[in-house]
Amino acid sequence: MTVPSVTFTDERLSNGLRLIVSEDHLAPVVAVNIWYNVGSKHEVAGKTGFAHLFEHVMFQGSGHVAKTEHMALVQAAGGTMNGTTFLDRTNYFETVPSHQLELALWLEADRMATLLGALNQENLDNQRDVVKNEKRSSYDNRPYGSWFHKLQEHVFPQGHPYHHPTIGSMEDLDAASLEDVATFFRTYYAPNNAVLSIVGDVEPAQVRRLVEKYFGEIPANRAIPALGDVSLPPILGAETREVVEDRVPLPRHFFAFRAPVLGDARFDALEVASQILAGGKGSRLYRRLLREDRIAQDVSFFALGLVGGASIVAGQATVRPGVEPAVVEAAFEEELERIGREPVTDDELARARALIETYELEALQRVDERADRLSSYATLLDDPGMINRQLDRYLAVGAAEIQAVAAEVLRPENRVVLTYVPASQPAGTTTDKESAA
Amino acid sequence: MTLEEVLSSRPSPGQPRRYEFPAFERTVLPSGLQVLAVDVPGRPLVSANLVVRRGAAEEPAEMAGATVLAARAMTEGTERYPGVELIEAGERLGATLHVDASWDAFTVSVDVVGSRLEAALELLAELALRPTFPEEDVARLRDERLNDLLQVKADPRRRVDHAFTSIIYTSDSPYARPAGGDEVTVPRLTPDVLRSVHRSLLDPRRTALVVGGDLAGLHVPRMVEAVLGSFGGPSMGGTAGGREPETRAESAVDRPIVRFYHRPGSVQTELRIGHVGLSRRAPDFHAVQVMGAILGGLFNSRLQMNLREEKGYTYGIGAGFDMRRGAGPFAVRTAVQTPATIPSISESLSELRRIRDTQVTRAELDAARDYLVGVFPLRFETPGAVVGALGGLFVHELPDDELARYRREVDAVTIEAIQKAAQDHIHPERIAIVAVGDVDAVGAELESAGFGQLEVITEEVPTETEPEEMELIEGPEEEVE
Repeated sequence: MTVPSVTFTDERLSNGLRLIVSEDHLAPVVAVNIWYNVGSKHEVAGKTGFAHLFEHVMFQGSGHVAKTEHMALVQAAGGTMNGTTFLDRTNYFETVPSHQLELALWLEADRMATLLGALNQENLDNQRDVVKNEKRSSYDNRPYGSWFHKLQEHVFPQGHPYHHPTIGSMEDLDAASLEDVATFFRTYYAPNNAVLSIVGDVEPAQVRRLVEKYFGEIPANRAIPALGDVSLPPILGAETREVVEDRVPLPRHFFAFRAPVLGDARFDALEVASQILAGGKGSRLYRRLLREDRIAQDVSFFALGLVGGASIVAGQATVRPGVEPAVVEAAFEEELERIGREPVTDDELARARALIETYELEALQRVDERADRLSSYATLLDDPGMINRQLDRYLAVGAAEIQAVAAEVLRPENRVVLTYVPASQPAGTTTDKESAA
Repeated sequence: MTLEEVLSSRPSPGQPRRYEFPAFERTVLPSGLQVLAVDVPGRPLVSANLVVRRGAAEEPAEMAGATVLAARAMTEGTERYPGVELIEAGERLGATLHVDASWDAFTVSVDVVGSRLEAALELLAELALRPTFPEEDVARLRDERLNDLLQVKADPRRRVDHAFTSIIYTSDSPYARPAGGDEVTVPRLTPDVLRSVHRSLLDPRRTALVVGGDLAGLHVPRMVEAVLGSFGGPSMGGTAGGREPETRAESAVDRPIVRFYHRPGSVQTELRIGHVGLSRRAPDFHAVQVMGAILGGLFNSRLQMNLREEKGYTYGIGAGFDMRRGAGPFAVRTAVQTPATIPSISESLSELRRIRDTQVTRAELDAARDYLVGVFPLRFETPGAVVGALGGLFVHELPDDELARYRREVDAVTIEAIQKAAQDHIHPERIAIVAVGDVDAVGAELESAGFGQLEVITEEVPTETEPEEMELIEGPEEEVE
């Protein structure tokens, strides 16, 4: 099967805004997607959670748009929208009926150019409360909810920008001031720090004209500070273990490893390895831990690509009642060790490749996903053309590459093992550090 | 023009491109099996769903969970492909085969590139018709379900959903039960029980195979005839007589009540506020959709604007009707910071009263209607979404033009129709307020707030070493429908 290739243009406005346009008239819809090259990795101590809090402020109005009007206008146009923040980036996107393209461009331009005109203490305080509730519902009030933050802490050393969680701490969120918001905006929200991808039922010439009209005059910031040295030793050097008591009925192990960055061919090999290890019921970990040994309730294993010095690969297994957690850990680790010791079979590799091909085809059907990938590859790798080469890179991974990367990455001295166990006594204390006010 | 001049002038929309929901072709095989084929040009990934109009709502109460467990166990092996061989055969085609049971339907599905459709349909038919339900695997899946029930209790979000439906429905309604079964019924689900569920599903007159994608050069009915022609045998021709009965769904609540599941130390309170709602076949479906969008569906819904954007009590709040063959639940759903629990309940109730007592504004109607009408083509960008929606029509026995008519119907909804829908379907007089959180930290005013009769339930988080008694009545899985 052949995955259709995505044709696109890639250019820069004079103010540095990178514009990527891809035409596709199958459905009367268009995706507008903008990535700012700023994530929680740009935060400094005492100001964690700021990139994400800022993302919320971006929906609180700008020079010509009232608070929450952004959502109102997009939805009334028959569109959907959102924004997300993670370690490496902040992105904003709208998918709208194609005749509403100009609305989406105007909304994005208005907040890129004039956000501070609408900024006030009341809106900041309100979104601070919303974000603190997001932290509570996504992490603090959830069983096993702290797992990813703990893995980050262990895989990336103190001082590395991936060490702290994107959601931030309650103290730092409380401390965020209007001045912080203004400074952050002036520093990072400039056209020359952004990639705008537009995919769908559009005429490229008209898109160029409109983008030039709305974004062309927004001034660049020629003094965006570079991220410091984020390089890391390739492996941790020693195993790290932590036992976490939580309000959970079943123990669960989380495993993590430091891995090569996104864009490194070894990272592609790790993604294929993850498919063979835990991609569905035909995978090794599922078969071994669930079907055969019947010691785990569920398993997963995945590679999370990052560009700041190292990526992370992680997995988990929930221990079935009556089973010693150590037995589950040993079986999980044995499978990780085995994939580094002997080559995967031809059939395993063929099945993984066929599935990956379908997943790519499935993802690239949608204009929003295509736009997001173009922005992502342009922002993180300066290479939007990866959208058409990524599948070939996966298909080029052979048994030897998988074995080599597994032996290099999935080894005990590069391993974090986090084990959640049922709390020995009822937890009576809150983890919410917010004051009563 | 200066930047300021450019930005101070709001753009107006261009000319909308014409859009029609993709047309489908129906073929009825001699057995009664319907084949719905929908050509979506340019979409090489084809979706195929075999949909049986029968789900967990039909199973006997004492065997609750049998349909869901049968769905999970079907991929554990078939006559021709023991164990995981069927999964592997699918993977070689790049296809993942899924089996899913909801209250109203049983679905076997696959997404595959068109050139491999015939091979994938053969596997789909094998999976649907000839599962073997091996004893050992069924036992393992039973255990997994029982373990999952432990996890439900530890997760405030899942706990409150289970509690909510168990409270609002009378115990003779299937919707009062968890769709996956509970601690009492799951141990009864032997391979023989699952085989009997499976046999009851095998009725071609209640089954449709919906296939969508770029079908150029693919003769779908012929392919289906080849792999599913013998399904049901020749004796079962014709269509099932009459419409399927509605699922029993009576309210167990006749006055406002508060059920608070005490979880010491919770930093938030999970809230579900609602009652028995209505069926998908409700005649005022479109007015209910618009009303629900204004109340709790849009990003800027009344509930969101009040509790999130003004008060900051929550990360998000929504409300809506889960429409099933019978009257599914209506609920306001949110998680709020513990000290804001009482004002959050109070504001939610006040929004429920307001949408009944006063008419929505013209601007609110316009915003909701324009959203629902405008977003319709976005919802159906991929064949998977189109196929899923057509499967829904079959399950709910709705007219063929239901989706084609949708935007016209929504467009015609009036302010008066919205108020009538609110008055007919939102019932503060029998509202159940179900919460999971730290009742001590919420404050004593909860009792005197006048929300309704208060009952506090204290549960320990169960652990494997101290199994605890659990009520038989729990709500269904949230992922149903």
